[in-house]
Amino acid sequence: MNDEPRVSAEEMIGRLPLSPWARIRAAVALTAGLAGAVFMGALLITEPGPLPGGTRLAFALFTVLCLAWASYGGWVMTHRAPLFATDRVIAAWLALTASAVTTAVVTTIAVQRGAGPVLPLATGGVLVAVSAVLAVRAHVRRATLLRRKRELSGE
Amino acid sequence: MTEELLVVRAQLGERAALAELVRVWHVPVWTYVRRMLDAARADDVTQEVWLAVVRGLPRLREPGRFAPWLFTIARRAVADRLREEYGEAERTSDGEPVMDDPVEAATDRAALVTALSGLPVLEREILVLFYLEDLSLEDCAQICRVPLGTVKSRLSRARRLLRDHLTERGFQP
Repeated sequence: MNDEPRVSAEEMIGRLPLSPWARIRAAVALTAGLAGAVFMGALLITEPGPLPGGTRLAFALFTVLCLAWASYGGWVMTHRAPLFATDRVIAAWLALTASAVTTAVVTTIAVQRGAGPVLPLATGGVLVAVSAVLAVRAHVRRATLLRRKRELSGE
Repeated sequence: MTEELLVVRAQLGERAALAELVRVWHVPVWTYVRRMLDAARADDVTQEVWLAVVRGLPRLREPGRFAPWLFTIARRAVADRLREEYGEAERTSDGEPVMDDPVEAATDRAALVTALSGLPVLEREILVLFYLEDLSLEDCAQICRVPLGTVKSRLSRARRLLRDHLTERGFQP
């Protein structure tokens, strides 16, 4: 019986998704994809006049593209490279920033086009609130781990 | 550095700590998987175990209980590969007392390892976890998801089977 693994520990480390950049890229793809999809949807909904078929098709394609990036980011984070405590803090702030910016831009466009600010503000408010909750939870979790790290290392 | 500190640093996302965890536990995980599966599948399943560990590590609530959690994942990965054989062998019997085992003193580690391959899956597993991985009875119970009494009876049966196996091969208890 062969008692040595054919794959060494160093080789195994090389095969695992341990790089923080891969995790942050996934968070950026998810956040930017969702923000882009909301933005495209808002543009389409608030369009004052009927759009030509080609323009509608372009809107639809851009929206699908954004949702595809969001799905990819979500898949990576759930199946391949999950977010660790520090990554979650960064991702939550990315989400909060993207939500706030998207809400501001979409509301501005809606007001300029005479559609009224209520719907975009309500939708954006939900996104910002969810992002804020995620940010608070991420900070609490990271603070708990940092406190435990200090206790264990005797700092 | 304590193991819990290493796990906490890994949960924070420190790449060096994640890599160190793999260095420390790679051979024990592979050893467990290898005793349960053939060589061709052992490396693949070990990699599956590590991918599952990386996926699940952020949600691990008790960093001080890393080893039982790790072997629970390894056991699940092995069970997935052995599902048909495993389902057949899942029968357990409680209440059998643990007896002192003359085999333990009479055989060396290499002979034990060789003889293990001839045992049924559940008996082989409990011997690997308890003797080769040096896990406590409580940890074995958590990993195998069975009561402590079942672990004891399974261990007793496994030692008896191993003793018979070794006796057949010419070892004297």
